[in-house]
Amino acid sequence: MGQETQGHSLAVDIGGTFTDVVLRLADGRCFTDKTLTTHRDLAEGFFRAVELALGRAGLAAGAVDGVLVHATTLVTNAVIERRGPRTAFITTEGFADVLLIRNEHRYDMFDPLIEFPPPLMGPADTFTLRERMLADGTVMTAPDLEAAAALGLRLAREGFAAAAICFINGYRNGAHEVAVRDAMRALAPSLSVSISSEVSPQIREWPRASTTAINAYTQPIVQPYLAGLAEGLATRGFPHAPLIMLSNGGVVGTPTAGRLPVRMIESGPAAGALAAAHLSHVLGLPKLLSFDMGGTTAKACLILDSAPLISGEFEVDRRYRYKPGSGFPLTIPSIDMIEIGSGGGSIAHVDGLGLLKVGPKSAGSEPGPVCYGRGGAQPTVTDADVVLGLLDPARFLGGDMALDADAARAALGALGARLGVDALGAARGVYQVVCEQMAAAARAHATDRGVDWRGLPMLAFGGAGPVHAARVAELLDCRQVVFPAMASVLSAFGTLVSPVRLDLARSALARLDGLDWDAVQALIGAMRAEGEAALAEAGVAPGAAQFDLAADARYVGQQNEVTFDVAALDATTIRAAFESAYHALYGLTLPDVAVEMVSWRIVARGPEPRGAAVPPPAGGSVAPRAHRMVGLDGAAEWPVFDRAALPVGARIAGPAIVEERETTIVLPRGWNATVHASGAVVGERA
Amino acid sequence: MDGIELEILWSNLISTVSDQARALQRIAFSPIVREAGDLATALFDRQGRMVAQAVTGTPGHINSLAAAGQHFVQRFPPDTLSPGDVLITNDPWLSAGHFFDITIMTPVFRGARCIGFFGSTIHHTDIGGYGVGAGARDVHEEGLWIPLAKLHEAGRPNELLHDIIRRNVRTPDHVMGDLSAQIAAGRVGAERLNALCDRAGLADIESLSDNVLRRSEEATRNSIRALPAGTWHGESTFDVPGGTRITLKAAVTVDNVAGELTIDFAGSSPEAPIGINVVLNYTAAYANFAVRASLDPDLPNNWGSLRPVRVIAPEGSIVNCRYPAPVNARHVVGMYVPFPILKALAHILPDRVPAEGSGAVWTIQIQGRDEADRPFTSSMFNYSGGMGARRMKPGLSATCYPTGVAAVPVEVLEAAMPILFTRKELRRGSGGAGAQPGGDGQCIGYRLLTASPWLLNAVASRTDLGPDGLDGGGGGAPGRFLINGAPVNEARKMLMQPTDEVLMETPGGGGYGSAGETP
Repeated sequence: MGQETQGHSLAVDIGGTFTDVVLRLADGRCFTDKTLTTHRDLAEGFFRAVELALGRAGLAAGAVDGVLVHATTLVTNAVIERRGPRTAFITTEGFADVLLIRNEHRYDMFDPLIEFPPPLMGPADTFTLRERMLADGTVMTAPDLEAAAALGLRLAREGFAAAAICFINGYRNGAHEVAVRDAMRALAPSLSVSISSEVSPQIREWPRASTTAINAYTQPIVQPYLAGLAEGLATRGFPHAPLIMLSNGGVVGTPTAGRLPVRMIESGPAAGALAAAHLSHVLGLPKLLSFDMGGTTAKACLILDSAPLISGEFEVDRRYRYKPGSGFPLTIPSIDMIEIGSGGGSIAHVDGLGLLKVGPKSAGSEPGPVCYGRGGAQPTVTDADVVLGLLDPARFLGGDMALDADAARAALGALGARLGVDALGAARGVYQVVCEQMAAAARAHATDRGVDWRGLPMLAFGGAGPVHAARVAELLDCRQVVFPAMASVLSAFGTLVSPVRLDLARSALARLDGLDWDAVQALIGAMRAEGEAALAEAGVAPGAAQFDLAADARYVGQQNEVTFDVAALDATTIRAAFESAYHALYGLTLPDVAVEMVSWRIVARGPEPRGAAVPPPAGGSVAPRAHRMVGLDGAAEWPVFDRAALPVGARIAGPAIVEERETTIVLPRGWNATVHASGAVVGERA
Repeated sequence: MDGIELEILWSNLISTVSDQARALQRIAFSPIVREAGDLATALFDRQGRMVAQAVTGTPGHINSLAAAGQHFVQRFPPDTLSPGDVLITNDPWLSAGHFFDITIMTPVFRGARCIGFFGSTIHHTDIGGYGVGAGARDVHEEGLWIPLAKLHEAGRPNELLHDIIRRNVRTPDHVMGDLSAQIAAGRVGAERLNALCDRAGLADIESLSDNVLRRSEEATRNSIRALPAGTWHGESTFDVPGGTRITLKAAVTVDNVAGELTIDFAGSSPEAPIGINVVLNYTAAYANFAVRASLDPDLPNNWGSLRPVRVIAPEGSIVNCRYPAPVNARHVVGMYVPFPILKALAHILPDRVPAEGSGAVWTIQIQGRDEADRPFTSSMFNYSGGMGARRMKPGLSATCYPTGVAAVPVEVLEAAMPILFTRKELRRGSGGAGAQPGGDGQCIGYRLLTASPWLLNAVASRTDLGPDGLDGGGGGAPGRFLINGAPVNEARKMLMQPTDEVLMETPGGGGYGSAGETP
């Protein structure tokens, strides 16, 4: 049945703070709820959320005859909080320190005080075996399987729960890794073993070892969790097994997720991007820039052809939160997102050059912005928004949390004194600078991927997204911003519109002009078989599976690859596709230089879920609820609307404010908005 | 221009050059560019003053491009240029210190008027002559010398110059490919600058540039004014291939009234007969790296912020070499330039300065025949030793410093040529002892899977003298470079037999504070 959405479907997204649930009935009606995440036992919050939603709809578990989809931060948290069990790292003799040596690079050129996260497995948990595979996949030294078995026994005896095996050139031929795993497990059956040739068969030993290590480290947590979930659901009478959201924006069954837990690492944000992709389809905007601004960071993601961009790499546990290179590299397919330290809590200050800077330091939620009145003393983006009149201090979070506007004004006044402007001038400056930062990050992200950012429509969500989106849009020459409905549970909603999908990649370095096509066919066939099995496990009928082939290639002599779709397995087609992708990225091609294939990629996916339209909100009047002074561009009275009261088709002319519980939409002068049938508010610039 | 407007325009300038630097780094054929970020991109105003520069991987390029800007505008005043002109040079004394680094300058036109330049320098795959290494006896043996010239004139390629370059390098496709990438980056950079001027309603960037440079200069002066006045001395001695010992002496004088810093290399070793000599531009680049890392990593990098720091060295010394001294492997000495400065600054900035580290990365290039008897030349690859300890933290092991090079993975090298690595592990205990120990070096063993003799072109340093500890910390172990177990010390390419095994043990970093004491 896969992701058919004809029945009643349920989605649960466990985030750092809240566990969100969306129950969508066959007729398209949705019931949503939130409950606090129960970190000690995530399943507790999971089932509480499920019961809340069922209770609201008055449904029994047995009635959930559509899909049941789950996204979770379990894996990320296990890594960041080092909550995994004792895990061994096993590699080729002579290469014990591959996790410690990394690539020898410093991620910050000038800072002499940088640090790296210590590997999950230190020297005391690292073991080597004598074996050697050559780069062409032939055996130089076979592994000593008696030594492997003895190591397995020793690990079990010393209380290791898991082991990661990554041998040099294991990406090319995994036979030694398989043999050692089997020998170890014959004597230590309780040991959970991950091997690099299955987890991430890609060239470059450090990222592959790092990926395998994290897979092994999290598996003893994830497998019992998923098994418990499946069992709990079955006991409660749910008809179907759950599907699990992966970082690539696809869902798979629990056996595949349990085998490759490292693939779940960006589960939640991936679901958000999937929701954005779905909305891009519903709204007829196939190209979109998804823009999610929260309390500490802003994330941007490109949607092309109503699908999010996927990248083959990810990094977790960045030591310096936003510095690439300061964390563990993972070669897993994941939604390609940029995250920068610009959020509502970002602190504004004047630097040594007299320039106004915002972030990346954040006041977070504790103590939070000055206006929260919890001891925060440095002015933040949210404080500037309050001073500008964009946020109503009496109605923040629906009025549950009163904001101290006077304190915010005083803090911005002090900041302004250093710039020679008043509080309002400083607040305008903070607003402008943070919007410029986000626009610059989005431009760089798009430019790096060969996408023309000019004029891309935007989708804005997150608590601070709709407050700043219109200004960011102007800086990106964009004329249209969509503010979706159900923004606060967008990720959970996203899982319901995710296809069953598994991305696979294998490296096989070879020049295109001398390619062994039989070997390529065999490699692709093996990936297809693995993908087909994972799809079948998630309920996709064999005939319904689709396979998209792509490849990574470069000019001979280069080191970085370009990924492109492969329509047919012949050298001319592949060269043309490579050069077209290369030209889009870099504005040139080199016809005289040979092309080298690096990796082959397959996306195995089930049918796209048939998304029922999001139901429109109840109708209501379009008269403003109130007016208030807004100082964004000169001080003026702006009308204020309640989003919940806006009927489909309602039109609002900017400048205006549209308030909802979790966020506020700011429509500056020159913008108009219409309420779309999906419930989304669509802002347009004249 | 207030601190809000300036911040917005300035950050836009920096992202323009940074975006182009990232693109160049990804597509470069030159391995040192893509792995090490051995490139620079910058925007210049009409006067050739560097206004904004991308943060890239190697201190040696950062700022040597700044000097090149001045030479270009003197030779080609902006009002004599036409749209479609592209300028070029690789003069070691006018730009980045050796022929491999080619600088391209693209004038940016707004209407008919040149409002500035987009410049880039990248380390190319080949430049003819000696090739990689320090073995040439004068600069002319080191390859093709391209004077300040026009590579394109009003949009038309200078065919003669193109032919000369093509004919004088071993990898013409890669060199021309990388030059095309530099030209494309200049074109896109010019478009982005024009788009910014459109958005901000600017006719040119003169006033913006004045503001950026004035504030940068003042901020740098202010951070120098926070230091005590006086002169401090530092000295660093190390050995280079062939066994010669080189001493670099730095006298750092703080004028905390004017906010100026003078770094004088008087007393340093004289020019060497092999290609490890450093032009003053490159010395200044590494000296400025040490200053900025110690003062404030957030200070900008431009013509204004460079002005308060004066770097002087006696003509004919190894850090201010004269024509026709060979300069090809100038990084071998250049990467040690920060250490005497840091040792001097340790007296006044003990929390920001690490102990001495292993210094220059060890570089390797291999030429030989594979099992099918086809000849191959590897790209250059490199390995680092240990970093010096920090006052409150140990030194990082097997981490590149002061330059920012990444190591090419073992698997990538084994897939690219018939090399077999037998080891790549930390060299435990090689970091100096101390309250904070120095970082460890590493042991790298390899041989070739070949039936023919092969050439090894390896540049190792500090195989005799390890780095010093700081404030009572122990010194790091010197490196060891062994062939079949016997130490070698050779500045030239070595002829190797098929069964020869190489073992390289890189030096450890110095410790900080006496061992047994808690900092």
